[in-house]
Amino acid sequence: MAVLTHPIIRFIARRLLYSLVVLLGVLIVVFALVHLVPGDPVRIALGTRYTPEAYNALRSASGLDRPIVEQFFGYIGSALTGDLGVSFRNGDPVTVTLLQRLPATVSLGVAGILIALVIALPAGIWSALREGRVSDAIVRITSQFGVSIPDFWLGILLIALFATTLGWLPTSGYRPLFGDPAGWLRHIVLPSLTVGLVAAAIMTRYVRSAVLEVASMGYVRTARSKGLPPRVVTFRHTVRNALIPVLTITGIQLATILGGVIVVEVVFAWPGLGRLVYNAVAARDYPVIQGAVLLIATLFLIINLVVDVLYAVVDPRIRLA
Amino acid sequence: MRVLTTVSLVISVAIALTSCSTGSRVDLGNESAGNLVAAIAGEPDQLDPQKTTAYFSFEVLENVFDTLVAPDANLEMRPALAESWDVSPDQRAWTFHLRHGVSFHDGSPLTADDVVYSYRRIIDQKLANSDKFSAVTSVTAPDQSTVRITLEQPTPNLLTNLGGFKGVAIVSRRNVESGQIATHPVGTGPFAFASQKSGDSITLKANPAYWAGAPKVSGVTFRFISEPSTALSALQAGEIDWTDSIPPQRVAALRDDDSITLEATPSNDYWYLALNETRPPWNDVRVRQAIAYAIDRDAIVQATSYGTAVVNQLAIPKGNPFYTPYNGYRHDIENAKRLLSEAGATPKSLDMLVTTEYPETVTAAQIIADNLAPLGITVNIRTVDFATWLDEQNNGHFDMLMMGWLGNIDPDDFYYAQHHTDGSSNAQKFSNPEVDRLLDAGRVETNRNARADDYAKAATIIADAASYIYLYNPSVIQAWTTRLSGYEARRDGAVRFSTATLAPGGTI
Repeated sequence: MAVLTHPIIRFIARRLLYSLVVLLGVLIVVFALVHLVPGDPVRIALGTRYTPEAYNALRSASGLDRPIVEQFFGYIGSALTGDLGVSFRNGDPVTVTLLQRLPATVSLGVAGILIALVIALPAGIWSALREGRVSDAIVRITSQFGVSIPDFWLGILLIALFATTLGWLPTSGYRPLFGDPAGWLRHIVLPSLTVGLVAAAIMTRYVRSAVLEVASMGYVRTARSKGLPPRVVTFRHTVRNALIPVLTITGIQLATILGGVIVVEVVFAWPGLGRLVYNAVAARDYPVIQGAVLLIATLFLIINLVVDVLYAVVDPRIRLA
Repeated sequence: MRVLTTVSLVISVAIALTSCSTGSRVDLGNESAGNLVAAIAGEPDQLDPQKTTAYFSFEVLENVFDTLVAPDANLEMRPALAESWDVSPDQRAWTFHLRHGVSFHDGSPLTADDVVYSYRRIIDQKLANSDKFSAVTSVTAPDQSTVRITLEQPTPNLLTNLGGFKGVAIVSRRNVESGQIATHPVGTGPFAFASQKSGDSITLKANPAYWAGAPKVSGVTFRFISEPSTALSALQAGEIDWTDSIPPQRVAALRDDDSITLEATPSNDYWYLALNETRPPWNDVRVRQAIAYAIDRDAIVQATSYGTAVVNQLAIPKGNPFYTPYNGYRHDIENAKRLLSEAGATPKSLDMLVTTEYPETVTAAQIIADNLAPLGITVNIRTVDFATWLDEQNNGHFDMLMMGWLGNIDPDDFYYAQHHTDGSSNAQKFSNPEVDRLLDAGRVETNRNARADDYAKAATIIADAASYIYLYNPSVIQAWTTRLSGYEARRDGAVRFSTATLAPGGTI
């Protein structure tokens, strides 16, 4: 019983309940949006071979001739049981398709954010500690460059260098981690570098300003004047306290990548959620759009929850309530 | 700091692992080892040949399914699942004799019932290709190797309708009724469906019992690479063997590249402009002709295709037996101005509907806007996605649009639906009694020369009256490794690997 009344458990339970409400809201909005946007899935499926007879036949086969309210409650009802319907385009169960795409997206998100952290943490801290010096300027200019660089261009450059010219890595494609770990690693390097470098540029600036802000706090000056070694002051007093905003931006960046980095997925022919959503929107494949948005919203909520819990872990002063 | 150490360890391992192997293809997985790897520019929407309308699907399904007859390289219809056929003297009863010993990939034999079932499915379910059967009154199987088709009227293009493309493929009843056909199609073609990885690839394996001879490659893996520069890099790195996802601006340079084979075959596709004839002043033929004189076709071809397409003022390209020479228009602003003043029309703006789905329409629109400026017409380019485009076209919400027709074979494909008063794709609402009469006559005329004459006359009126303002025929552009032989880029865009051979060597 003690476990169940632990503040973190109570916090998580409450957040999960609240998440359900958010997801329901997301569903309503998405359902309304896909039906409001111009464009008719049946018309697109028929393309240029359109005839009124074929149109009506396909429309009723897809259930789109039913009243919209009936369609909505039917969808919610089956969604609650984990059945997100079937794709208008190929009849595939949406849940199955999403689960097939999820590993590639999660791989890219995790690898990309690791690369971003490996670069942004040291670069941001170093730059802050050497504020105003040449090395700080170099980091700031480089990160400005990284923020401005279009990701598709970076991706094409990386392919040209590492795949075409040097022949070290494959140009594109994906291998599952479980089944072909070496292939997975070789295929993920370039896309995750592309995603990671862009995220690193953004995050470096956050780390730098967070560290600078903490470094100007009274307790850091006190620590320093107590005669603590600079290393201890930097890591125990400054960096640790600067981690809260860094955690926030890391969560946002990870969520962004998981939500689909369409351009990078296109350049590297990466079978992630982004391209799935893009194609589904182009075809007005309502069940796939709805399912994918639901999944992405769920990932956002999970990351948010984890970040909030980590706040408390990093900084015990924060109470989860 | 421990986290950082771990991460840098992982990175070093990654570098160590990756730098010791070259851009290889050994890790495609066992089932696709030794396969021909082809990169197509997108993922098929579904694999039911009778229901899909996506070119990406047909690129794959061309190799999985067969039709009763099939077009050769010159688009003449040749025996396929039907070994021969007889036509009754009144041209209204066709008897097809099926090839013996043909089996579906699941081992079940192909029978006349499958053919009847396939055609009845298209007709009864009013599938998108049911217009190909508009003259058919019955499809029957007198015995297990004979199919009889009776027609309301003589139909000279029946063979094209039955074999022009895989949308009228012969499917397996069991495969359809099990609901598997959209994801696990079973055909009679040179390759059998093996597996699909969502968003990544589709793998086919060779059908050793194929009636026209077993394929020479063990299988084909179609990878979906929509970014052309990535596909080209993959080809140059030896990861793929074939692609049609090629940056047009690189075509000229690639022609001189000995390390790959590049073919640009003039296609039967065409691109056109259409003006909405329900909206004044575009209902006046002189105003439409003014637009046709004002545009610079050469500039449009250069900008959209880097010169790989061929300017044409009619739909059917040179080299096609139904080609009609026509040169009525030229880039002539003064003539355009004269026609506008004759019509007493002073259009100030033009709503041009284009779609990002076909980037050439967006590019061409910018040139057309520039071309029409001297006439005092401001072109408002409205760029929408394809779903919206179809809606707007359907509802007549446009002054002018640009679009293409792909995969046409018979002249009826080129003109009837687009220009007949009752045509299903006559979005511009063109109506001309003489054109209607000629197009109707062409549908039943069995004398080939007389039929060609009907279409030549109809096409000339269509162009003179500017129902469509024809722009150009694009090329089918494909590139492949020099190790690949026994393959050619076809003018109908059908991608057939049944006779392809892949020489060993190259990459490891």
